[in-house]
Amino acid sequence: MYEKTVLIKDTDLRREDKTRQAYTQFLDHLRQNDQHSRIQVVRVADVGLYDKGLVIKVLPDRITYANVQDRDLERIANSLCENKEAIKDLVYKPKVKQEKLALRNCGKIDPENINEYIACGGYLGLKRAIFELGAEKVIEEVKTGAIRGRGGAGYPTWLKWNFACKVSSEQKFVICNADEGDPGAYMDRSILEGDPHSVLEGLIVAAFAVGASRAYFYVRAEYPLAVERIEKAIKAAYDYGLLGKNILGSSFCLDAEIRLGAGAFVCGEETALISSIEGRRGTPHPRPPYPSIKGLWGKPTVINNVETLANIPQLISKGGKWFAQIGTETSKGTKVFAVTGKVKNSGLVEIAMGATLREIVVDLCGGTLSGGPIKAIQTGGPSGGVIPQELLDTPVDYENLQKLGSIMGSGGMIVMDEDDCMVDIPKFYLGFCVDESCGKCAPCRIGGFQMLNYLKKITEGRGELNDLIHLKRISYAMQKASLCGLGQTASNPVLSTLKYFENEYIEHIVNKRCPAGKCNHLITYKVIEDKCKRCGLCSTNCPVNAISGDKEKGYSIIQEKCIKCGRCFEVCKFKAIYKK
Amino acid sequence: MAKLTPDELEKISKSNHEKSSNWIKVGMSTCGIAAGAGEIFDFLLEEVKKRNLQIEVKKCGCQGNCYAEPLVEVSVEGLPAVTYGKVNKEVATKIIEKHVIAKMLVNDYIYDSLT
Repeated sequence: MYEKTVLIKDTDLRREDKTRQAYTQFLDHLRQNDQHSRIQVVRVADVGLYDKGLVIKVLPDRITYANVQDRDLERIANSLCENKEAIKDLVYKPKVKQEKLALRNCGKIDPENINEYIACGGYLGLKRAIFELGAEKVIEEVKTGAIRGRGGAGYPTWLKWNFACKVSSEQKFVICNADEGDPGAYMDRSILEGDPHSVLEGLIVAAFAVGASRAYFYVRAEYPLAVERIEKAIKAAYDYGLLGKNILGSSFCLDAEIRLGAGAFVCGEETALISSIEGRRGTPHPRPPYPSIKGLWGKPTVINNVETLANIPQLISKGGKWFAQIGTETSKGTKVFAVTGKVKNSGLVEIAMGATLREIVVDLCGGTLSGGPIKAIQTGGPSGGVIPQELLDTPVDYENLQKLGSIMGSGGMIVMDEDDCMVDIPKFYLGFCVDESCGKCAPCRIGGFQMLNYLKKITEGRGELNDLIHLKRISYAMQKASLCGLGQTASNPVLSTLKYFENEYIEHIVNKRCPAGKCNHLITYKVIEDKCKRCGLCSTNCPVNAISGDKEKGYSIIQEKCIKCGRCFEVCKFKAIYKK
Repeated sequence: MAKLTPDELEKISKSNHEKSSNWIKVGMSTCGIAAGAGEIFDFLLEEVKKRNLQIEVKKCGCQGNCYAEPLVEVSVEGLPAVTYGKVNKEVATKIIEKHVIAKMLVNDYIYDSLT
């Protein structure tokens, strides 16, 4: 049996991978000291550090050495052989660490087994809420924890609960908003699939606090597995008496059920969501009255996001004070981000509020896929904006992101590199919002459409400098006059790219050039004759036969026929196709 | 099933704490399944049965390292619990033969994040 395990990985990207070499060296040292049956060495695929040279991690002590040089290998091996303490001058202390609250059980427990959830401290928050605290103190506890809505706007959760609690009504409702629709964001899905009971417990606590007798999960129909697991969770909770009549033997009763959304983005907006549950068309309504006062079927209704609810059980069982220790002054707790786009390790990252964007994307996710520089990071989905690389050291919280012209949103984070065009990106998001606009109010319906037309014009090389002024004017009008969050924020991607990347717009308009090489109308493909080996691969692959010539004479692209699909550029093995 | 009282809830909460340290967990969220976790789960289950091994194969949610799915976490007595990533049938066989039976970690497929 091994006493210790040594994980070894070379994380330097600029040179040849030395993992194997170091592995053999280390093993030799152990053999020389006859310790290889006591200590095992393992090459790993990912050690959780990036661009930190050779990394050695010792288990079970979890001592990490980074930037290990050849001469240090022996020192480390010897210290292990002689059972000495860690070599202090070589130990690496990571700057950032993930802190898992909402994802605490994801990947740890069987989501379909309620006993495993209870064994991890599940439903103890509910027990404390009912038997120790009572409704008012639950809200007090949530106020102390100062958790804010994780769905986007960051509205204090306790305030919502408090409003609904204070209204007297024979029936009240709580709703879990699981209508996650931002492109590239999937943390809610992951929580629901990995730990549905934590969300359910949060929802039951919310219902208890406000005095609701009915709870709804509003989930997109596109999440069949999440729906299945919530269904199982609800059933298990009924079986255990955690839902239904007299929960845990108390006088508190609650029924819960699932309502499926048909995948309309606007139904994530709370008034539209309510309409949808009521069986009407999913369109928003003017607020006030806010749903906390007059919501579903005219009754007080609390709507919380999945991630917010997933945090509640721990906040209650461990107390608001404990929760408030995590995060920054104004934003407490942690946030789950779905990091996608041109990033090395795409996935979910949960980190205490106040970590910088650079720490999230570079330190935890390993930087860009190509190893090149980051151009910008898009946060908050279609309602958010881009943050350029010079501002990556901003600590992430609700206020800071808003100051930069973006928003926290539900936590999508899309990493962009030099190949992403800053006119094309807002065009994509705006196109999404135009498609998803419900059409009820004119600013959103007409404004969005007009803005999209201007962006199309610019990317097609027909833009004028005046268009930028029009874009800004329409943006402001939409922000002021739209009925709901969708229209009010739809112009954010355009405004933020105009703010940080105006040059790129001007380059498109004045020089009719797309610096990133993304906008089809503004690029041309050519064959570089010096590099061309006359293999003919481009010609055979061209879908419109726009490449003429043969193996004797060489090849050239007929510009009139070319549809700029980029196929030739991709297939050429000699980089003999030029794109500009 | 009987309805729980607060004391019974407490009891479940405590009793299950001494869990066995012999298990294999396969990440079976949408991201894992899309990468082929379903097949790996069935394969591991079958191998464990075929070889008559005393180890439990379980489903779990996504750990967050979606780029390395399918993820398989293995805990065997005497070895640290580790997560293998990008597991295909070949790697799964190695996990069974080397990690579970021979009690040695498998080279080149461990994804060890800092948490």
